[in-house]
Amino acid sequence: MDNFQSTIAELLEVDDVTMTDELTSFECWDSLTILSIIAYTSDEFNVTLSTDEINNSETIGGLKSLIESKM
Amino acid sequence: MTDFNPFSLHNKKYLITGAASGIGKATCAILSNLGADLILVDVNEDGLNETKQNCKPTDEILVLDLTKSSTIKEAVINKVAIFGKLNGIIHIAGKPYISPLKSISEEKCTELYLLNTYSAIELSKVFTNRNVYAGENGSIVFISSVYGLVGSAANVGYAMSKSALHGITKSLAIELSSKKIRVNCVAPGFIKTPMLNNATEMFQDDYTDNLTKLHPLGLGEASDISYAIAYLLSDASKWVTGSILNIDGGFTAQ
Repeated sequence: MDNFQSTIAELLEVDDVTMTDELTSFECWDSLTILSIIAYTSDEFNVTLSTDEINNSETIGGLKSLIESKM
Repeated sequence: MTDFNPFSLHNKKYLITGAASGIGKATCAILSNLGADLILVDVNEDGLNETKQNCKPTDEILVLDLTKSSTIKEAVINKVAIFGKLNGIIHIAGKPYISPLKSISEEKCTELYLLNTYSAIELSKVFTNRNVYAGENGSIVFISSVYGLVGSAANVGYAMSKSALHGITKSLAIELSSKKIRVNCVAPGFIKTPMLNNATEMFQDDYTDNLTKLHPLGLGEASDISYAIAYLLSDASKWVTGSILNIDGGFTAQ
């Protein structure tokens, strides 16, 4: 998970993110960004996430915990 | 009159990839029932054995990883030496790749290209080998996708691999006409297959409903594609080459 924050920041089109940032607070938060996260976690961690799981994780930290729980 | 059947595939031999599941599995059963002799190809041996249960006992299986291009020629030639020369190939093997542009991966695209696209070229090359091609009634059928014809977000890698098949189809149709080999492609809409089920698991519950609405006739069955393949292999289509046949429940008619 070394590059997790920097990669998520890139997908969210911002310079950096913190663990408490809410996913829906980002300007580019949409279905394509969610698909990008699904593709990233599948490629990088071999973890398959659903749209609903990502939406329910609410924050960057929640997303990280979700991925870790499936690794 | 009783023997008249231009759709008959009796005494014709074909190699079919992607035979372990979905459209490939359904097509094997239908072609076999139409009288064709088949070499069933896939990387999934268990799936091949399952497919074979719905085919003739004389049909053969060939476990082959089509992303390893350099192994295709030897494997096919060796199998054909036992099975007999072929009248055609059907390339159905393929995988989806849903990814927006910003998460696209070169590694994934290369893998997709090798399986979905380049293996079509390599199989065609092997098919034209004098030790493989029976020399008459030649027919090559590729399976692409509506997403090789029309745009869709998060499909750039898949579109690359499938739209290329349309160019390959037309180019080979010209190049192989002198050998009496026809080359055609079927572009399916969304079919109810395990591949679709895997994709829909990632999305919200209304994903399948939205997909269905894109098809005026609803989602397709694997057999809808199989029957089109059977037509393109048979003598009923002897004047058809270089065509892209949309079998999509009206998806691209809109």
